[in-house]
Amino acid sequence: MSVIAAPSQTDSTVEPPAATAKKHRRPGRWVVLAVLLALLLLVVAPMLVIMVNAFKTPSDYASNGPLALPESISFQGIIDFWNRIDFSRKLLNSLVTSLSVAVLGVLLSVLNAYALGIGRVRGRIWFLVFFLVANLLPQEVLVYPLYYISKELHLYDSPISVIIIFTVIQSAFGTYLLTSVYEEFPRELLDAAEVDGAGRWRTLWRVVVPVSRPTLAVLFTFFFIWTWNEFFLPLIFLVSNENQTVPVALGVLQGDRLMDATATSASALVGILPALLFFLIFQRTLTRGITAGAIK
Amino acid sequence: MFRPRFLSAAGALLLTASLALTACGSDGSGDEGADAKTLTLWHYEGPNSAMGVAWNKAIDLFKASHPGVEVKFEEKSFEQIQQNAGMILNSDSAPDILEYNKGNATAGLLSKQGLLTDLTEEATSRGWDKKLSASLQTTAKYDEDGIMGSGKFYGVPNYGEYVMVYYNKDLFKKYNIAVPTTYAEFTAAMDTFVKNKVTPLSVGGAEYPAQQIFYELALSKGDRAFVDDYQLYKNKVDFHGPQLTYGAQTFADWVNKGYIAKNSAGIKAEDMGVAFEQGKFPILYSGSWWYGRFNDEIKNFDWGTFLFPGNTLHPGSSGNLWVVPEKSKAKKLAYDFIDITMQPEVQNLLGNNGGVPVAADPAAITDPKNKELIDNFNKVSAADGLAFYPDWPAPGYYDVMVSGVQGLINGSKTPAAFLDEVAKPYNENLADLGK
Repeated sequence: MSVIAAPSQTDSTVEPPAATAKKHRRPGRWVVLAVLLALLLLVVAPMLVIMVNAFKTPSDYASNGPLALPESISFQGIIDFWNRIDFSRKLLNSLVTSLSVAVLGVLLSVLNAYALGIGRVRGRIWFLVFFLVANLLPQEVLVYPLYYISKELHLYDSPISVIIIFTVIQSAFGTYLLTSVYEEFPRELLDAAEVDGAGRWRTLWRVVVPVSRPTLAVLFTFFFIWTWNEFFLPLIFLVSNENQTVPVALGVLQGDRLMDATATSASALVGILPALLFFLIFQRTLTRGITAGAIK
Repeated sequence: MFRPRFLSAAGALLLTASLALTACGSDGSGDEGADAKTLTLWHYEGPNSAMGVAWNKAIDLFKASHPGVEVKFEEKSFEQIQQNAGMILNSDSAPDILEYNKGNATAGLLSKQGLLTDLTEEATSRGWDKKLSASLQTTAKYDEDGIMGSGKFYGVPNYGEYVMVYYNKDLFKKYNIAVPTTYAEFTAAMDTFVKNKVTPLSVGGAEYPAQQIFYELALSKGDRAFVDDYQLYKNKVDFHGPQLTYGAQTFADWVNKGYIAKNSAGIKAEDMGVAFEQGKFPILYSGSWWYGRFNDEIKNFDWGTFLFPGNTLHPGSSGNLWVVPEKSKAKKLAYDFIDITMQPEVQNLLGNNGGVPVAADPAAITDPKNKELIDNFNKVSAADGLAFYPDWPAPGYYDVMVSGVQGLINGSKTPAAFLDEVAKPYNENLADLGK
């Protein structure tokens, strides 16, 4: 901007075109900003509606509708909901399940990808195709076989069944992704390790895992959040209330013909907070990118 | 190569583990479980609903009369029971007693699969059958094909439900309209509202409410034989017969006369109720399940109810059922619990909390509003007037009905085309059943 204020033609011929370009770009920028803001509002709107209704009393909702601001802030909906479904317990269940799946899923993915990506076992393309197909299968297809197997193994209605199932499902994706990362793994590092006398096991833990740690952290975060938000299979496999996870427990409020809008909003708010929190904490690992750190 | 060896070792381990587990898993119990020490009980009613309150009381009474028995109550989600009942009841995690949906596709299907206990003997020896009127028993009994209406008792309902007219007394007063007692007065009242630029009916066309209006109108020309034909497949139904033709034609007329707003085709039931609660519409035609909520939430105006004028038959049925899974480990205790829920103490409590009890003592209902609700139900039930719901006769029929009636509301379908559309899946289902 100071360039326009003090036009010194003596310097160079490059500056004036740059300045005019800036000037031309400005209205365009405002349009982009406005569009982005509108999009942001569109994305955030459902959350805002939930926020507004979570703090209303049912009679306030009934007389003023879903879009009005609350007459007074009421925490009763959230408190009632928390106590009614013993939410602390569900949080613990979800945390244990998601953490176990995230840890085991990453571990399994690393072992698979080490064999397929660096070990280059024969027919690895077919392995990868297999994992990709496993990834694309809708969960509805899996329900009955899994139901019968878990019943035979006496794991029906046990969190262990859900942990095993999701470890496998998540690591199918993890294997697919990590394998392509490991195929690009710098050979010099592996050769150096071999020269130093490290075996396969040692190479994996001392060289491959530390170098690809950022990628693994991203996988871990995704596995955690995906598992946290799973609804369908936990609904089927976690029958007892004491085993249920957060998304399954949220369904309690949905009646046959009626729904309690304020309590549902309160539950939705309470339900997404943990995942949101986790996301914010690990946001930095996510932004580092999935393939970052493959080459140093 | 270490991998193959590791894999086969793991496989062997898994196999032995599963063998060991299955070996110790089967210990059959053939007795009725009279000496069981726990009763696992599931239902999906909210703690503040009429059923929730009454059943909590029933649990207390049960504990008092069964010292030493632990009651493990779990509040379930409707969704979970709806989706998985078959799988759960077929496993060792089945509860000893649970609330389950009435109807061919739910309780009927499970009874056919042998997952539910036949309650006929208990129902007669404990007198439950005497307390339930004929139209309430229809949804409690299922034949060997899982079709309701005859056969054995597989469930016991504690409460009923029926569809009625809710009206905003303040708005009726404002336009000087008396509570209609005949069909002519009812339409005259709606004409007055239309003349004053008020849409009379709050309708949720995207869900169940609109089809129930169509059905109620059809029932005004029908009798019990028509209901039996339509719902229980006793005789073939003529979709272009006088009843259904009248229902479809009159529904279309109501839209043309402005009783039902054209934009209500996209309205959900929830929004329909909220619009009525906000006083935007003077009349809402829907079920008793709204009653408790309106009672709690409507503060800005006075409201009341009346039965659809001129009809003896109304959409309605028993509520959901208590069923005892075949795998229940405490059947005797489950029967005792059902018996307690049918006692006047629990039934009256249900009535006093805005529910519709099946066997209450009307004199013991203190709240005048609740009394009106229950008196009306008893009137319908005593006249054998519960006609069930239009979407019951065929699987997936709900969506057919919703989209059909939506066509009537926005005028994209003529009444005759609508009837053809809904006749097709109905008749296909009949063919599947071999009738």
